[in-house]
Amino acid sequence: MIRVPASPVRDRALAIARRNLVWLPLLLLLVWSALPLLWSLAASLKTPLELYQSRSLLPEQPTLGNYGRVFAWPGFWRYLFNSSLLALASTAFALVISSLAAYGFARYAFRFRNLLLVLILVPRILPRASLIVPLYQLVERFGLLDTYAVLTITYTATAVPFATWILAGFFAAVPRELEEAAAIDGATIAQRLWWVVLPIAAPGLITAAVFSLREAWNEFPFALAFTTSQEMRTLPYQLFLLRDSVGIQDWPLMNAFTIVTILPILLLYLRFERHIVSGLTSGALK
Amino acid sequence: MTTPLEHRRAVRRKRWGTALTLFVLLGPAVVMVIGVLGYAVVSGAITSLFRVEVWTLGTPFVGFENYQRLFRSATFVNSLTRSLIFVAGTIVLGIVLSMGFALVLHAVRWGRGLFRAIALIPYLVSGVAAAVMWRFLFTGDTSLINMGLIAAGQQAIPWLARPNLALVVVTLANVWFISPFSTLILLGGLQGIDPQLYEAAKIDGARTHQCFKHITLPSIAPMMALSFMWLSFASFNMFDIILPLTGGGPGRATEVLAVHMYQLAFRDLNYSTASAVMVVLLVINVAFSLAYLRLFRPR
Repeated sequence: MIRVPASPVRDRALAIARRNLVWLPLLLLLVWSALPLLWSLAASLKTPLELYQSRSLLPEQPTLGNYGRVFAWPGFWRYLFNSSLLALASTAFALVISSLAAYGFARYAFRFRNLLLVLILVPRILPRASLIVPLYQLVERFGLLDTYAVLTITYTATAVPFATWILAGFFAAVPRELEEAAAIDGATIAQRLWWVVLPIAAPGLITAAVFSLREAWNEFPFALAFTTSQEMRTLPYQLFLLRDSVGIQDWPLMNAFTIVTILPILLLYLRFERHIVSGLTSGALK
Repeated sequence: MTTPLEHRRAVRRKRWGTALTLFVLLGPAVVMVIGVLGYAVVSGAITSLFRVEVWTLGTPFVGFENYQRLFRSATFVNSLTRSLIFVAGTIVLGIVLSMGFALVLHAVRWGRGLFRAIALIPYLVSGVAAAVMWRFLFTGDTSLINMGLIAAGQQAIPWLARPNLALVVVTLANVWFISPFSTLILLGGLQGIDPQLYEAAKIDGARTHQCFKHITLPSIAPMMALSFMWLSFASFNMFDIILPLTGGGPGRATEVLAVHMYQLAFRDLNYSTASAVMVVLLVINVAFSLAYLRLFRPR
């Protein structure tokens, strides 16, 4: 075997190669994560004629016409309202319910505490699609099919475990001394939770809120199974139906619709990105 | 001075007070989660022991007959096999990608926040939207993939019309959709490792791959277990991507268990067999999580 003598030149070449080694996977990450979205965005800015006739990568004459067609789509504003209402309502309920539960888990030692914590997490491993079969019969019996109530309740129920899990980690990290000081001044548990614990755990609340909003905004199986009338549709449900109702595939419209449904949650995420990642990595996973 | 009796009463009152507080704190969450989701599971498990079909009068108790019929049915066995391939493919590709991405995101110094944000984009998109985007990538002559093939002098391929290729596309879309969350989990694990461990190993003359094997992997074993669990649960239960992307087709090539269950219940109106599929899914998920917990047990 021939041993190449170590030389400064070779060492420097190796060092440069190693330093640039990180860029290759990084490029792969960018292409893999962003390409489907960018390709969809590009198509949404093309006219149907351009999309089908020229094989252009980028729109030659960018147009917002497809977005105009999305906003003019029958019922679009109603579906937007439904999606927003359900996301906001279920997130508000989920935050209240899981703040209370997380405080209980973080501050009290009681029998079956760990068992209960696990039991609350178990539903996370169940397919949403598998819950719709038994829940459908229950919902039907109570006459709740096709109501905001059934979707709000089921969205809240599916958001509570994850939110509780995140918040319990944050609440446990709030120093007890602060609460004791407040208690000496005569603060009740509710006051301590509202004025001491929640403000300190704000990043946890933001994380839980964004994930809950994301889940409700994007939810599909429950909306598909529990609603029947057109007035109750949500945006993802309508996007699913576009496939059938457009007949010949109107890709510019479908892509514009897709981008419209993604945009709100994407902006929300980018606004709170810092809090969310620190919320996930520091609060819950330890 | 308080007498012992008064003292005991005070203690008891305090204990009742605590119990009441806990009841108020935990009650709503327990009612929501165990009342709604727990009810669904128990009720589904019970339904799977009866025959609840649209063409059967009444709901006779049939024991495990639904399960026996299930495992003799060709469509169920097909769904089970397709699911296993789909899940195995997702886990292998998903764990490699998310581990690689987590390492890169951890190593990169410049623009870390931006790259991290981009890496998490697919997780923010709805399953339906992801399905539309992936269908657009692969369908027809105007799709990016086929345009690439044509530009390279090849024929366009009808990806979603070929059973096995459709399964590949569905698996890729699924990896795209669910692996960002496991990237995030693993990144959290990497950030929790004490940098002094690496410095100490460097002083002892350890090489990069040795550091990875003996420091990185053992330190993030719990996060690896979580990632594996997430990837397999999310794929076994995947419904949102597949129904809009292929509808389970062509034929039944991409009809994984969750889609099969949905079709049984809402197309065939056969609730009891659909419930049996739900219980099978539940058992598989629990078995997988126990296996992972054993595999990644802290040593």
